[in-house]
This record gives sequence, C-alpha cells and structure tokens, in this order.
Amino acid sequence: MNARATKKRASLLLIAPAGLLIFFFLVLPYLTIVVMSFRVPGDGTPYAPGFTTGNYLHFFSDSFFLVQTFNTLMIGAVCTLVCLLLGFPVAWQLARGNSRWRGIAYGIVLSPLLVGIVIRSYGWTIILGNNGMINRTLISMGLVDRPVGLMYNTLGIVIALSHVFLPFMILPIMSAIQGIDPSLESAARSLGASRATIIRRIILPLSMPGIQAGCILTFVLSLSAYVTPALIGGSKVKTMAVTVVDTLVDTFQWPFGSALALMLAVTGAVIVVIFARLTRMKWKVA
Amino acid sequence: MSKTFFTIFCLLIYIFLLAPIVVVVLASFNAGAFLTFPPQGLSFRWYVVFFHNEVFWRAIKTSFWIAGVTTVISCIIGTMAAIYHVQFAGKLKETVRVAMMAPLLLPEVLTAIALLFFVYTIGIGTQTVLPMIIGHVLITLPFVFINVSASLETYDVSWTMAARSLGAGPFTRFRRIMLPLIKPGVIGGALFAFIISFDVFTISFMLKSVGMSTLPLQLYDYLRTNFTPEAAAVSSLSVFLTLVVVVVTEKFLGLKIHRF
Repeated sequence: MNARATKKRASLLLIAPAGLLIFFFLVLPYLTIVVMSFRVPGDGTPYAPGFTTGNYLHFFSDSFFLVQTFNTLMIGAVCTLVCLLLGFPVAWQLARGNSRWRGIAYGIVLSPLLVGIVIRSYGWTIILGNNGMINRTLISMGLVDRPVGLMYNTLGIVIALSHVFLPFMILPIMSAIQGIDPSLESAARSLGASRATIIRRIILPLSMPGIQAGCILTFVLSLSAYVTPALIGGSKVKTMAVTVVDTLVDTFQWPFGSALALMLAVTGAVIVVIFARLTRMKWKVA
Repeated sequence: MSKTFFTIFCLLIYIFLLAPIVVVVLASFNAGAFLTFPPQGLSFRWYVVFFHNEVFWRAIKTSFWIAGVTTVISCIIGTMAAIYHVQFAGKLKETVRVAMMAPLLLPEVLTAIALLFFVYTIGIGTQTVLPMIIGHVLITLPFVFINVSASLETYDVSWTMAARSLGAGPFTRFRRIMLPLIKPGVIGGALFAFIISFDVFTISFMLKSVGMSTLPLQLYDYLRTNFTPEAAAVSSLSVFLTLVVVVVTEKFLGLKIHRF
C-alpha cells in the first residue's frame, strides 16, 4: 500500500512540467485578460491603476464595434457553411473511396496544414488581387474591362478563410464516416434506397458528431483568424480579431482591447452552445 | 452520370486546396519585377535577390533555432505528460486530456494576448526570447501529446513489468523498452511541433522582442509594403524545407501521424 502511494506520487512528476506550464502560462494568462478588461485606460501607459466597467460601456455604446462584431460573426458563419458544403463530399470520398489515389488525396487535404498561414494567405493575394491571376485572365479574355473586386472586401476574406480552415472540416467528418458500418449502406441499397436517400437518411445523421465538431472548429477558428483577414482585407475591411490586435499593438489600449476580445469570445461561445444544442435536438427527433 | 459529376466536384475542391501553394511556387520563378500572371518568362532572379537579402536569412536562422528549442522542450514534457495520461492518470484521464489539448482548442489570438498581458504583469516583459519560446511550447504541446498518447495506447505495460522483474531501473526501462516502441509517435509529434513552431504567426507577432523576427513575421512585414516576387521565392523555399523535413523523417525514422 505504501509502495503504491509512493509510486503514485512519483508518477505526478511526469505530469508536473506540462501541468505547471498549462496552469501558469495558459490558465493564469486567460484570467489576466478578464482582469485587464476592467482596468482603467492609461495615458501613455497601457493601463492605469483602478478598475472600471467603462470599457464594456464603450463597446456597447459605439455602433461601430457592434456592427463589426456582427460582420465578423457573419463571416464566420458563411465560412463554416462553405466549408461544410465543400468538405462533406471530399470527406465522404476519402472515407469510402478505395482507389489508389486515396493516399494522394489525403495528402492534398493535409497539405495546407503544413504550409504557414502567412504563405497561404499570400497565395490568395496573388490569385485574388486586382493584378492577380483571376482578374488578369478575365481581362485578357475580354470578359471584363476593369478588375473585379475580389480582394480588400468580405468576399476575398471568405474565400481565403474557407480555404485555410477546410481541412479542419474534412478531417473530423471523414473519421465520423469511417466509423459508420458500410453494411448499413448496402442494406439500404438492397432495400431500394437511392444514393441521395442513403446520404440523407443514413450518412448525414450518423456522421453528425463529426459535422458538429467540424463546424464548431471552423467557426471558432475563422472568428479568431488574424493573418488572413489582415492581408486580404487590408485596411479597408477589418474583422474583429484584426481590430483587437490593432487596438493592442498599434494604439496600446490594453483594457479596451481586452474587452473587445472577450465580447467576441463570449458571443462566439454563445453561438457555439446554441448550435450544439440545436443540432443535437434536431437529429434526435429525426 | 451523377458519379462523374461528384468526382469532378471533388477534383475541383482538391485544386482549390492546392491552388494558393502552387501559385506561390509558380510566382517565385517570375522574371518580371511585379507579381503578374501569366509570368513574364522563367528565371531564378528572385531567388538570387533573396539569397543576398541578409534580413530574410537572419529570420530563417531565428526560426530554425526557436523551432529546434521548442521541439526539444515540447517533446520531453509532452511525452512525460502522455505517459502519465495513458498509464497513471486513472480517473483524471479525461481532465488531463482536455488540459493538454486546451492550447489547440483555444483561439490562438486570445492565447497570444493573454500571454502578452501576463508576461508584463509578472514583470518578465518581452525583452528576451523567453515569452516567445513559452508560447511556442504551449501551442506545440498538444501535437506531441496526442501523437505519443496514441502510440502508448498500444503499448503493453507487461513489457515494463518484465523488464522490472529482470532488474531494470525506471530510466533503463524507459530508454530500452518503452522509448523504442513509442518512437514513431514521438517522432510524429516532434515533426508536427517543429513545423507548427516554424509556421506559427500570431503568438510570435504578439510576443516577439524588439528587433527580433522569425520567418513568418518577416514575410508578413515585407508583404505589407512590397509586391515583388521575392516573397514568393522565400515562401517557396519554406514550403520546400517543410517537404524535405517530412519526407526525410518518413524515409529514415518511420512516421505515424495521429492528428485528430
């Protein structure tokens, strides 16, 4: 018994370094943001002594920030929808396909994750820019006579973000579909169900946990993305994450920046919880 | 008919996934002074410009040593945590998993802000490279943890027992029995840690010390004001280095990646 207690204590040494790191450099810092959001804005310094709720009042009284929060949430929602529509067929093909291309296809899906986000966003600026690939092609074909606005607007941000986070939608859905017994599909087929019916009545409901995980990941990641909207949106269109970083780094308003960041995090979290509730309920009924 | 349509649809998505990366590599061979399509002839001109650019080389060196240090630290503490998680955690297993995965699940920008405030509050500040390394270790830890945990799940504890009954101490048991068996997981985790640390932007952006720059930071800085294909040459080299690291690791060390 005593030896066992000693062993248990010794095993704690294994988790200690990582555990302490997470506690001191993740848990405490997140609490620091909350505290910071109630600090008094400083003059020349990031913050002054004392506490206030003024930062939150500032957020709610300025329609600029409310509109921007709404727009950011919309961008997140549209990206999630686009990723779902594009990602589901690919996930299905990867999970059920057995051709020799499968390995390559899987590599292609993983490839964006191995290339830095700055490089991927840069790639999109080359494709979408006013002098970019698409506009050059359109002009040389005589379809348009001046560049179509694909960058420095919401459309460009949505296209690039959908690309950046598509793997995070595909991978969870793929593993969910892989977990479905293929004999269910053959059974349905032998009973005369069409391909569409099989997808709607069997694959979709059973892969719901994967869809849910993919949607939540994509939504949260696109809300908090910084590099892509900063490079594609330029100074014309800003998402909330870009404004937060600008507020902190360029103008040094730490308390107000914290309040902005927390408001975005809280609204995002509320939407995620509502989404999780709704999707679970809907599929229980069906 | 519908099957052909489906295949074409998927093919288009694969093209979409590869497009920006391929375009960057193509653009790097552009002979013209600006990024234009179609490229004005092929040339290595921008690679030559980049090879003479001191600033980018310094950034690449910085990125390499930061990623190296991060990988070593992350691998050691991540492997320890994974061993605890799989073999000793008991009822705490799920709690440990959530805590270790937290840096991956929380938005990177929030984590970066939180760390920035924290290092200033406790007085370290960003004068040294320490905050950035802490941030990188934090963000790479989940990848090591998940890979090592996955290979430990198939590790049979009776092997450790057998070694112990033959008189092997804990370190010998780890080095001679467990480590060789979980090696693919550790290497997979190390690979991911290195690549993630090499590429991570937001954490580095918030926590960098004055005058210090990693490759993604330097590239971002450059892209805000310049439009020459030099950035494409730098990016292509970075993509190529990643590819080399992945292929070499797979060929010589054996690789098993568990990501989700």
